[in-house]
Amino acid sequence: MEIYREEWIGDFVLIEYKPIQLQRPSYAIISLPDTGLVSVISATHISKSLKLEEVAGIDSYTYFPPVAIISNKTLRSPIRIFTGNNLLVIYTEFMLPTSGLIQLAKILIDYLERKGVEYILLPSGLPVQNRFELEQLRTYYLATSPKALELVKNVEAVPFENGLLAGPYALLLKEFSRAKLNALLLLTESFLEFPDPEAAARSIDMISRIMGVAIDVKELIEQAELIRIRARDVMKNTLRGLAQMRKDMEYTVPLHT
Amino acid sequence: MIDEEFERIFKRIREVEKRIREYMEDEIRKTMRSIREELAFAEGLFRPMWNHEGHLRPLYSINDRGSYYEILIDLPKADEKTIDVRFQGNLMFLRAKLKEEITFSGISGKGGETKFYEYREVIELPIVVDPNKVRIDIRKGIIRVLIYK
Repeated sequence: MEIYREEWIGDFVLIEYKPIQLQRPSYAIISLPDTGLVSVISATHISKSLKLEEVAGIDSYTYFPPVAIISNKTLRSPIRIFTGNNLLVIYTEFMLPTSGLIQLAKILIDYLERKGVEYILLPSGLPVQNRFELEQLRTYYLATSPKALELVKNVEAVPFENGLLAGPYALLLKEFSRAKLNALLLLTESFLEFPDPEAAARSIDMISRIMGVAIDVKELIEQAELIRIRARDVMKNTLRGLAQMRKDMEYTVPLHT
Repeated sequence: MIDEEFERIFKRIREVEKRIREYMEDEIRKTMRSIREELAFAEGLFRPMWNHEGHLRPLYSINDRGSYYEILIDLPKADEKTIDVRFQGNLMFLRAKLKEEITFSGISGKGGETKFYEYREVIELPIVVDPNKVRIDIRKGIIRVLIYK
């Protein structure tokens, strides 16, 4: 593995394999394991469909278990960064504890600003109790700035007006909002405890429309069952982390709206 | 007069005793549940979701919906005609053949070489099941088992 640049930030190390130059308007998708693995499945499909290149990674000996990821005979980091044209995808299948997530959020803010990323897309799932019966899935959105809100002008999504969010994206959203970044959270109705490629397909469709880039989800739908089989271990590990992050609070009805 | 006073004090002591006992029982229950969850997790840590004999373990969830328990089991690629669910006490035995053999191609080691052909799992339920109070639905490779209380 050839290293172009390495930087230690707190308990994390950022490793770049080659220089990164994004075209404009530039987008970043942040994919962390969460409800139904919607974000992880979406980001995997987008990276493969748009043939993005792996250009960097983030590791931590404090917050990740001692794992080595081997991809095509090459060592990679638990957090993998892919890019192509105007898109940067930050992807991990590993759950971080809350303390690590706070530090990572700050590192990402700094990194995304340095790379000149204009918009951050946060695709995830919104757990619904009757997902088993649902045919049509809705996507909700939440923007951190008026500029980010412009992104959903022409897409079929509904505003997330009241409720509670819990888990990694709740934390990222708060930190990105404080840093005044243009972030857009896209929450598609999904299973909480099972990988949900159907919800991921809907999420990808939103991203495709927002970015104005064609991303075909036909293969994802065709491969949905196989993806569900392969994603079982990641889902199992994710659920443990989500329980610690009190994901069940998303079902809570707040008194004051 | 003194008897009445003693009676009042003893009544009060009995109430306090009852509350302490309830509190301790509740705390013990919580601790036991927590230990059970930790043990289940530790057991699951070294129990992969597949084995080299070709069996897959499905993901499942158990939810208390008030008047019934809802058990969802994710069985992608399962041949619905072969899904076999049986109950014994508070255990649910599940088997289902896959529509076709699958492999985790591209993965090094046994995981990439093994051919999988069947789901197998034993699920511990929160109640002893009366099979007459069970309803099973299958949809898009997910089975929903409703167990009425």
